[in-house]
Amino acid sequence: MASVLEVSHLARSYRTNLSWRKYWILRDLTFSVEQGEIFGFIGPNGAGKTTTIKLIMDLVRPDSGDIRIFGERHRNVTVKKRIGFLPENPYFYDYLTAEEFLDFYARLFGFPRAIRRSRIDTLLERVGLANRRDRQLRKFSKGMLQRLGLAQALINEPELVILDEPMSGLDPVGRREVRDIILSLKAAGKTVFFSTHILSDTELICDRVGILNKGELRAVGRVSDLLGARVTHWEVAFSGLAPDSLPGLSRVVSREGREVLGVCQDEEEMHVLVRAILERGGSLQSVVPQRERLEDIFLREIQR
Amino acid sequence: MGTFRALLVLLLGGLTAASSALRVERLRQVNAPGHHLLYLPSGRYLKAVTFGYEGLVADLVYIWSIQYYSNYQIQDRYTYLDQVYRRVIAELDPHFLDPYLVGSMIMSVEAGRDDLAMLLLKEGMEKNPGVWILPFQAGFLCYNKLHDYACARDFFQQALRDPEAPAPVRRLYAEMYNRLGDRRTSLKYWAEIHDTADSDYVRQVSWMHVHDLKIDVDLEDLAGLVRRYRELRGESPRRLEDLVRAGLLARIPTDPEGKPYFLDPATGQARCESRHLLQGH
Amino acid sequence: MSRIWAIASNTFREAIRDRILYLLLVFALLLMGFAQVLSLLTVGGEEKIIKDLGLASISLFGVLTSIFIGVALVSKEIERRTIYTIVSKPIHRYEFLLGKYFGLVLTLLVNTAVMTLWFYLILLLKGFADPRLLLAIALIFLELLLVTAFAILFSSFSTPILSTLFSLALYLVGHLTWSLTLLQDRLKSPSARALCRFLYLVLPNLEIFNIKGEVVHGAPVPATLSLWALVYLLGYGGAVLALACLILQQRDFT
Repeated sequence: MASVLEVSHLARSYRTNLSWRKYWILRDLTFSVEQGEIFGFIGPNGAGKTTTIKLIMDLVRPDSGDIRIFGERHRNVTVKKRIGFLPENPYFYDYLTAEEFLDFYARLFGFPRAIRRSRIDTLLERVGLANRRDRQLRKFSKGMLQRLGLAQALINEPELVILDEPMSGLDPVGRREVRDIILSLKAAGKTVFFSTHILSDTELICDRVGILNKGELRAVGRVSDLLGARVTHWEVAFSGLAPDSLPGLSRVVSREGREVLGVCQDEEEMHVLVRAILERGGSLQSVVPQRERLEDIFLREIQR
Repeated sequence: MGTFRALLVLLLGGLTAASSALRVERLRQVNAPGHHLLYLPSGRYLKAVTFGYEGLVADLVYIWSIQYYSNYQIQDRYTYLDQVYRRVIAELDPHFLDPYLVGSMIMSVEAGRDDLAMLLLKEGMEKNPGVWILPFQAGFLCYNKLHDYACARDFFQQALRDPEAPAPVRRLYAEMYNRLGDRRTSLKYWAEIHDTADSDYVRQVSWMHVHDLKIDVDLEDLAGLVRRYRELRGESPRRLEDLVRAGLLARIPTDPEGKPYFLDPATGQARCESRHLLQGH
Repeated sequence: MSRIWAIASNTFREAIRDRILYLLLVFALLLMGFAQVLSLLTVGGEEKIIKDLGLASISLFGVLTSIFIGVALVSKEIERRTIYTIVSKPIHRYEFLLGKYFGLVLTLLVNTAVMTLWFYLILLLKGFADPRLLLAIALIFLELLLVTAFAILFSSFSTPILSTLFSLALYLVGHLTWSLTLLQDRLKSPSARALCRFLYLVLPNLEIFNIKGEVVHGAPVPATLSLWALVYLLGYGGAVLALACLILQQRDFT
């Protein structure tokens, strides 16, 4: 099955106004996104995530490299009929109402009025803005604008949805709503490609991730593969005992009154510590294995 | 800054600005707004900065000139008359007729500069050849102010080439011949006017001229015949019948009122019983 | 085509909601007021002055609208990044540009029509009405179309401030190309004369659209002038818009 999105050896540079030197934003970027998956594109600020997305959306021209969407040249106008896009910190025509705003984009696809109307109704419902349809955008909060932007990206029921920092500026409720929408898209068989620097969201919903740093792809793969099943350490919470001179305890994370949270290097040490706590009459509260979080992988890759 | 202080500064600043502006104005001794328009370059160069709006700029300068020249408090305001009307307005919009007329009137009547008025009108005529009112104005200037009837006659003739020239022009034209002493031509034109008159007033006025002129012409003719008689017979005729008998006249001519002419026994000159209807004949 | 119309109607709506119509009201009131006061200020020439003023206001107001809105048409979208979501839809960049252009043209049409109506009404009341004025206004409108094309050209690659300066300069130059002919006559060297001739042909000659003087004075206007002016607009304006499309096509929206 052909990939929905294929990026090969993408390179992009810029020159500051007066100098000859080229600064590379991206060098030799290669990855692909498969049909039906949610792909998270993560990296620190300035890594080149937005540039990559702009290149995919033909807002910017690459120095070299190739981009294929649904197997066709990404510049084809017909390809754009099947994709939806939400840019980072979008700014919209604030003199339009929500309904006029969505209708405007719908008309760019050439949908007849009946279809436009029903899609707009559905989408406004879906992003929770149905009761604001007649309000001008200048009165919308950031969260509302983000949700409306998402609606605009979905107006043509696209097969591939590309989102640049879709969670930015949202409160936890908003983030949860966006996550749910993305998951529902996957459930409907759509492909989602989004960039973010909020790792917890990525971990929760992505099938695969790509970690970008300084224009290079550091790691790509399934979340589960990257994270591994390996347990890195164990966290043991107990009370009623002083943590000093307890065997198996490598360090103390926190102490609050009589409650202690400690760390053990591995399973053996954990068993040692648990036995010691029980023997000495302490009260064991929890034993939790810690696996490598995405954040750890991220930080590790960044520092390389 | 507190609100009160801000308002105070606002008020003081405004008053200071207004009073200093008034003071500067008094220093400059300018009592005509737009006086600096007097220093405008010639219209030809001004045209370059009007960008297609010359007509409007000409209008604005004209409106300004009316205010300026009707302000009797300004001394020596006639110094730049020629500059304003001929060099600026006429160059910007040569087909704008009112400035030629009003300007020439100001020049002639108020500034006493008939030469400038004539110059302006000539320029206007050059630029607007088919228009009657400019040569008419020039002709009237010659007639009324300069008493140069030949000049007036020529201008009125020029004005008559415009089919829109109103009837009084023709009447003045006819009258100029009379003033020049060419009664016959004057009579011819006045007769035409009478024959083509379309109102009682015109018919009446033209009749009066025709009446008087006919008398003058007839008397002139008769005086000539009297001289001829003297040459032939060696003596003056005593009555007009003598002329008839001598074959110089077919019959005794009558004046326009139907009364016959006669010879004055004392002077031997032909005379008319009817009086002239108009003064000055 | 419907995509161009979608952009155009949106641009029109933006201009209207920008409360630009209030300026029209100001225009109408000022013109009316001045017409009343005029007889106090002048001796004769009232008809000419009102006509000159009306035509000049319609022309000037149109030019200012077309420049000030036109120079921001594209650059504002790029700067505010509202263009990102549009270009990501199945629309060619040239369709977007043409849509913006025609949206502004529609705005200008409405503005000019409203002002013309009011102006003609005043003239009718005073007994000065002359249908040839409508022809003069039609040509003024064609001039506006060309000025707008230039404004949008500059907008496609330059900031609003610079674009405004360029557009204004071009408008002024466009009304001065006649002086190149005069200059040509005075120059001696054939290459300098050739340069003058070249510049005269290449620079936009906006005086082609100016029959204000002839109409106000009742002078004849060649029957085919309007036709040739239209052809000139289509040719020159088309070229300018094509250039703008090309520039926009190549642009990176960083």
